[in-house]
Amino acid sequence: MANLETEILDDVIARSRRKMLALGGAALAGLVLGSPKVAEAASYSDSDILNFALNLEFLEANFYYLCAFGCTIDKPNAQAISAGAPSAGIPITGSVGTAGTVSGGAKVSFSTIQAASYANETAIEEGKHVLFLQSALGSSAVAQPAINLGSSWQTLGQAALGSAGTGFSPYVNDDTFLIGAYVFEDVGVTAYHGAAALLTSSSNLTAAAGILAVEAYHAGLIRTTINAVDSTGSLGLISDTNSISSLRATLAGQVAPSPASAYDTAPDDFGLATFSVALAGASSVMASRIVDADATNVIAFSRTTSQVLNIVTGGASYNASTKALTSPATGVFFPSGLNAGPNGFK
Amino acid sequence: MEKTSNLIDKAHSRRVFLAGAGTAAAAGLIAGCGGKSSSPATTTTSPTTSYTDADILNFALNLEYLEAQFYLYAATGKGLEATDTAAPSGYSGSYTQGTVTVGNATQVAGLSSAQQEIINEIAYEEQEHVRFLRSALGSAAVPMPSIDLSFFGPLAIAAGILTSSQPAFNPFATFDAFLVGSFIFEDVGVTAYAGAAPLISAAGVSAGYLTAAAGIMGVEAYHAAYVRTAITAGAIAAGSATAFPYITYANQVAALRATLTVGASAAPGTTGSVETALTLPASMTSASSIVAASPTTAVGFSRTVDQVLHIVYGSPTVGVAKGGFFPSGTNSIFATTTA
Repeated sequence: MANLETEILDDVIARSRRKMLALGGAALAGLVLGSPKVAEAASYSDSDILNFALNLEFLEANFYYLCAFGCTIDKPNAQAISAGAPSAGIPITGSVGTAGTVSGGAKVSFSTIQAASYANETAIEEGKHVLFLQSALGSSAVAQPAINLGSSWQTLGQAALGSAGTGFSPYVNDDTFLIGAYVFEDVGVTAYHGAAALLTSSSNLTAAAGILAVEAYHAGLIRTTINAVDSTGSLGLISDTNSISSLRATLAGQVAPSPASAYDTAPDDFGLATFSVALAGASSVMASRIVDADATNVIAFSRTTSQVLNIVTGGASYNASTKALTSPATGVFFPSGLNAGPNGFK
Repeated sequence: MEKTSNLIDKAHSRRVFLAGAGTAAAAGLIAGCGGKSSSPATTTTSPTTSYTDADILNFALNLEYLEAQFYLYAATGKGLEATDTAAPSGYSGSYTQGTVTVGNATQVAGLSSAQQEIINEIAYEEQEHVRFLRSALGSAAVPMPSIDLSFFGPLAIAAGILTSSQPAFNPFATFDAFLVGSFIFEDVGVTAYAGAAPLISAAGVSAGYLTAAAGIMGVEAYHAAYVRTAITAGAIAAGSATAFPYITYANQVAALRATLTVGASAAPGTTGSVETALTLPASMTSASSIVAASPTTAVGFSRTVDQVLHIVYGSPTVGVAKGGFFPSGTNSIFATTTA
């Protein structure tokens, strides 16, 4: 059945040097994956994949550093240093590409210890991910790409929330920070999930799995907190998560859930709207949706590098008529695209 | 009353809990706590050297049976349906279907609708993991092993949460107690899948098993984050660990898990440990500790199958084949501790 999803994925396959791996046919019978995803064969190197991840970590780390400390990751910040960051800041140069600048962003005026402490923790951890990947890549590490953490939010806000989102800034208060963080974290999970099976080195796989877990912890943290802060939905935050998840699913070429509470359609992203489940011993009960995973098998979603690229560049690089991604993809958070080697993802 | 006295008997001492299958196991940890230890005389088993992808998925299935039973009882007062626990059609293996020792497992009382929705969600997700793995394994899926949901009491004593003279710890009593019960499982689930993923064969990777395992690990990490965030938020709201002791209980559980992680048993947060304790942020410049990961690299932890077995059996000793949450052992080629 050719739909938008399969057409985009077919295009992704055709445009890359990858081959689709056969699903099934192995020793075990009947593995039921929710919907067969494109499996990207390992014709890219591990370095290409880790550098793709490094670009995303530069984005996340700078966002959280700005929110928590009011500065970018390359600046020495007393609070970050006391938590283990390098005294000279985190290096942003690399052997590939020129270190780009970060525009926009400001320290959030947090009003609760809860939100502030979460921002502090996440900033430090994302910074360590940058350092870890730089260390793992050694002389192959790319420089920080140019990053827009200012006007990109208004672009995304409008795309996700319509006119109500045109003035959106994540740097205003606890709630706006939570929504800003929500934009990133589930995407990180899907990106590392998609990358895991592409890595050829066992140690790289173990590291990627470990970072995937941390991104899922972050995502769970943010989703849990929004769910608790807006327990009745009256603040509109729950509704915002549904809109953001729908936008991400659309940018990934998937079907947005409609209505948002529908659990049996096939998007690759769910907001925090509650949904009905059948449990042993209780046929139909309402459940929260802290976990962003598929309906049937409850396996976290996975995205290809192209799908992730289209999300973080806001879809500006996706041509709906040709159903192709322009290369390099640019826009929104990455105004000049990613930094990558000649064969890397960009 | 009979159940209560059984629990008290079981919970009688740290020694009994740690014994798992036998007293030799207890000697192991007690000696270990004293600083010096020699390996106690126990049945020794050769480490498993040969396994298939099905063996790995079946080990995961054993853990999912345990989690699903716990959360389903907490959500509804009932466990998995019989069709989700029996040997599948065409099963030719030797493992037999076990039973659940219910203990005081029941629907958690006094829940707000939001709390009920949380438990419903996790119960549903673990139930679906059981179904997914059984479906993936087809006729090779092992039936549910015997599961002891009364083991929380002895475990809490071993962790130092309660003494044996107090009523047994009951994770089904209140929502906050449920959070501590959940804390016992979730970080372990993450590390178990992280450790299992690289064991999957090249053919298994092509068949999608690695992606599936990584995706389930992600879900376990979402769950773990929920539990750690809820406990941390409770402590922040209460203002101190004294006012909200569940954060202390969780950290006592983390310390016990560290002790049981043979080969990586350093204290949480120290070099070589695979545990991160919760912190209670005291000011706007404090950092929380929601993520369980290396303090150096912020990369998540993994555990070997053997380390996971030690935790669910409640024993640090080599050669132990049952105990703790699995009173008859796992229905798995990985059933006896090997290190």
